[in-house]
Order: sequence, then C-alpha cells, then structure tokens
Amino acid sequence: MKKILKDTCILAALMILAVFTFSIIWSGITDEIKLVLLLFGLAFVISVVNYLIDEYITVSIIMSYVIKYFAVCAIVMLFGFIVGWFYPSNFWMTFIYVGVVLVLAYLLDSFKVKKDIEYINRHIAERTKEQLS
Amino acid sequence: MQVIKRQVKDRPLTVIIEYPEYTGSVEELFRRISALDISFRVLEDGKQIKVSLTDIYYIENVERKLFIYTEKDVYRYDSSMAEVEAMTSGTGLVRISRTCIMNTEHLKEIKQVRNSHLEAALDNDEMLIVSRKYLKAIKDAFNRGQI
Repeated sequence: MKKILKDTCILAALMILAVFTFSIIWSGITDEIKLVLLLFGLAFVISVVNYLIDEYITVSIIMSYVIKYFAVCAIVMLFGFIVGWFYPSNFWMTFIYVGVVLVLAYLLDSFKVKKDIEYINRHIAERTKEQLS
Repeated sequence: MQVIKRQVKDRPLTVIIEYPEYTGSVEELFRRISALDISFRVLEDGKQIKVSLTDIYYIENVERKLFIYTEKDVYRYDSSMAEVEAMTSGTGLVRISRTCIMNTEHLKEIKQVRNSHLEAALDNDEMLIVSRKYLKAIKDAFNRGQI
C-alpha cells in the first residue's frame, strides 16, 4: 500500500509537470502554474535540508524534529516572504502549518522505528534459535 | 535442488555444489556463492593478510581513514565507504550511519535508548550508534534473507 501511495504521488507530480509544460508553451506562466512550481521548489529545498539534518546530525528523535521544525519554519517564512505568500500580519501561520505536519511525521516516524526494531530483533531471535538447534 | 546443511566443527565454512551436468543455472549458483566470499586485503605488521567478510564486525570511517574491526583486532584499510558499499552490496554488511558499516551477521540486538538514539549491540558486546535513516537498510538485509 505504501509503495502504491508513493508511486501515486510521483505519478501525479509527473502528470502536473507534463501538463504544465504544455500550458507554459501555449499560454505562458499563469498564477496557478507559478504557485505550483513554487511549491515544487519549496518541497525541494525542504527535502535537501531534511536530508542534511538526517545525514549530519545525530540526536534523539524528538530533538531531530525540534531542529527540523525551526529549520522548516525558517525556510517557509523566508520563501513565503520572498514570493509574497505572507504578509507581516499572518506569518505566524507558518508555525501552525509546519507544526501540524511535523507532529504527524514524528508520530509516524516513531511508530515505524518501533516496528522496524521489533522486526529486526525478531529475526535475530529466530536466527539465534536456529543456530542453537 | 536439494539443500543440505550440516555442522562440521573446527573446519572453515565450505560449500560443495554437486551437479549431474554443468548448466547455466549451476554456473549462476557458483557465481552467486563466490560473490559472497569477499575478503579484504589489509596490512598487519607490514605483512598483507586477508580478512574475510564473515570475520568483520564493522567498518568505521575516522577522519577519512577506514578501519576494519574484527572480534578483537582493528586493521587500517585503504579504500572509501562508497567502494566498500559497492563491493559488499547484497551481503550482510550494511551502512548504519554516515561513518559506519556494520556486519548484521554479528548483530545481537537493536535498541532504542529512552526514546532517543538507536544502538546496535554486537555479539562481542560492542555497541554502535545507528542512524534512524539507515534502519531500513538493516531491515532490508533481513528481508532479503541474507543473514
């Protein structure tokens, strides 16, 4: 199921990019196309930062999400102000949007890590049992 | 195909392939088993020796220098993490952090310390830090049934 969802997201992204490429050729960049392309750009920057945090910072799960929260908030706010998504009065919404997404991601991640550890330890126990018998 | 395994004490790990005719599938089987027999040439007191993959507990990158850790010894190995990874692809050696490759054959347990970092306990009682990002690689190694 996870693979199907992942493939669906990749396919949808490719479809959007393909359709938009033709739209840009025929009628230029509209506001909607610009917004979607900016979201792709933002997603790319966040993914790179996420990769770097995972690769270079070894801290607890909670601390890694706290670091990610502040890093992503900073990126979204910077990006939002540059492209004109935010006004000085509503920038605080960034903290709520990013917070909700990261809390969900943290819960999923913690659950997945727990399941993976159980899976690995179960296999090790089976292997040890096999070696002893 | 019959698969027979038996324990023979005090002998090195030996795989014997018996076949009525030498066909393509026998050759493929031979190639695959040979690919698992990986060893690393290291220097010990100026003499070159071979360290078998099964004897390796983990490989660590310390300031761009690779060190191979066996149960009791440590050897310097001239290579890079990427090269070692390419060489041992499909074996029980998996990357567990940016600087460490662990042999899952010697893994005793994975534990999460107080909902914090992950630790791998090896059968020689050494502990290694596992990055969450690479937990899936360990799981995949067990999934492939290599260990």
